[in-house]
Amino acid sequence: MNPWIAVGALGVVSVVIPLSMMLVSSLLRPSVPEDSKRTTYESGEVPTGGTRIRFNIQYYMVALLFVVFDIETVLIFPWTVIYRSALEDGVGLVTVLAPMLIFIGVLVVGLAWAWHNGAVQWSRDPQASETQ
Amino acid sequence: MATQTLPEFISEITGLGSFGVAGEFVAAIVGAGIIGTIMLTYTGIAGPWAKRKITAAFTDRYAANRMGPFGLLTIPADALRLLSKELIIPERVDRPAFDLAPLVVAGSALFAFAVIPMGSLFGINMQIADPEAGLAYAFAVASIATLGLTMAGYASANKFSFMGSLRAIAQNIAYEIPLVLTGASVVIFAGSLQMSEIVAAQTISGGAEPLFSIAGLGIPPWFAFVNPFAFVLFTIANIAEVGRNPFDIPEAPTEIVAGYQTEYSSVYFVLIYLGEFLHIFLGGAIAATLFLGGPAGPVLPGFVWFTIKIWGFFLLTQWARSAVPRVRIDQLIEIGWKGMLVLSFANLLLTAVIVGVIA
Repeated sequence: MNPWIAVGALGVVSVVIPLSMMLVSSLLRPSVPEDSKRTTYESGEVPTGGTRIRFNIQYYMVALLFVVFDIETVLIFPWTVIYRSALEDGVGLVTVLAPMLIFIGVLVVGLAWAWHNGAVQWSRDPQASETQ
Repeated sequence: MATQTLPEFISEITGLGSFGVAGEFVAAIVGAGIIGTIMLTYTGIAGPWAKRKITAAFTDRYAANRMGPFGLLTIPADALRLLSKELIIPERVDRPAFDLAPLVVAGSALFAFAVIPMGSLFGINMQIADPEAGLAYAFAVASIATLGLTMAGYASANKFSFMGSLRAIAQNIAYEIPLVLTGASVVIFAGSLQMSEIVAAQTISGGAEPLFSIAGLGIPPWFAFVNPFAFVLFTIANIAEVGRNPFDIPEAPTEIVAGYQTEYSSVYFVLIYLGEFLHIFLGGAIAATLFLGGPAGPVLPGFVWFTIKIWGFFLLTQWARSAVPRVRIDQLIEIGWKGMLVLSFANLLLTAVIVGVIA
């Protein structure tokens, strides 16, 4: 049997189970909508302003770094799979290892640069540091 | 050595295999239903009951003990209570993202169990599928949950939810890379991404050499024994990935109410909660497969050992919940990007060099 048929079957099951729970719940639960009940929760106060607030730039910086390193892990995986069998087939250690060392080396230089520029250093609120 | 998976077994004994792909799919649905039911049962025990009991044991209390033996009937009572709650949809939420998020969180966690080898029970191999890209699939599907948390936080139009989902994203992406890189260091040993091959490389019956022998008993070369450093790194990254203490700032109840799930009620809350617990078991299952020989173990059937290992990981997260204080967001980012990432690169390269020199 093609394994992906079975994977697809679990995909169907893992959508059907939550949907059936939603269905059962919709048969059981009451519905008594009220204006005050349906306001956004803000610790019991009347909500102020919008939600699309400004947030720390750092979240964006680490997300950018992630894109680089995530693609890199995808490229490392094929190398790890063939590494041992290539060595057993008599390919020299330097031939197998050196390209990956250079590849990771370039990335580590990139990380060092990002580190130096404070991309992985959580930037503080300037007002908070003034009061200290 | 290709062992028969659960859907293949069902399709053979029921004769569904003779109906071609459609018959195989029906057999696979039955198999997937069985695995899904088992995992939901574990989650049902863990969420409303075991979590309370374990926390109570740590804090010297009794917890649920009124309904049924050891309070076990709390489980159906809680299920009924939560499903029959009114579903409150705040007026400013973005639909349908708000409604889809619980589905994504719960569904993706269950979906990733497709490739996990759960060992044999009564001679049946409890694994849904064994594709060659098994490990890559498990990592890929497990990280879909981040998308669900992002949707939940952004669509709720609530400041607490928004902060919680930002933290969840920052945390998951920071610890995803150490997780995958330490996983890759195991692949160097095993030489395959196929889950059954990774398990076979750690078990003596699968053809691996014993690590060493004590009184004639061979100690299996579980990768946790071969490379304990990688196991520790993987466990830390795993706890962060499933968002448990000390890395539970996405939902930090004392700071941002409940994070991304603040506005969720009734069945939507159940699904997100369910997804989180499934995710803990999934993290335990991946760690067990990569480092603890999967379902391998003496005397008892493989499935029992698999259950013990994933519940062991659950117990670890609950112990950390009672014992370890939460990290701050700046500490979290620094531990992730400056500590874990560098250490996991070092681990990968050292593993490669050592394997290269020995082989």
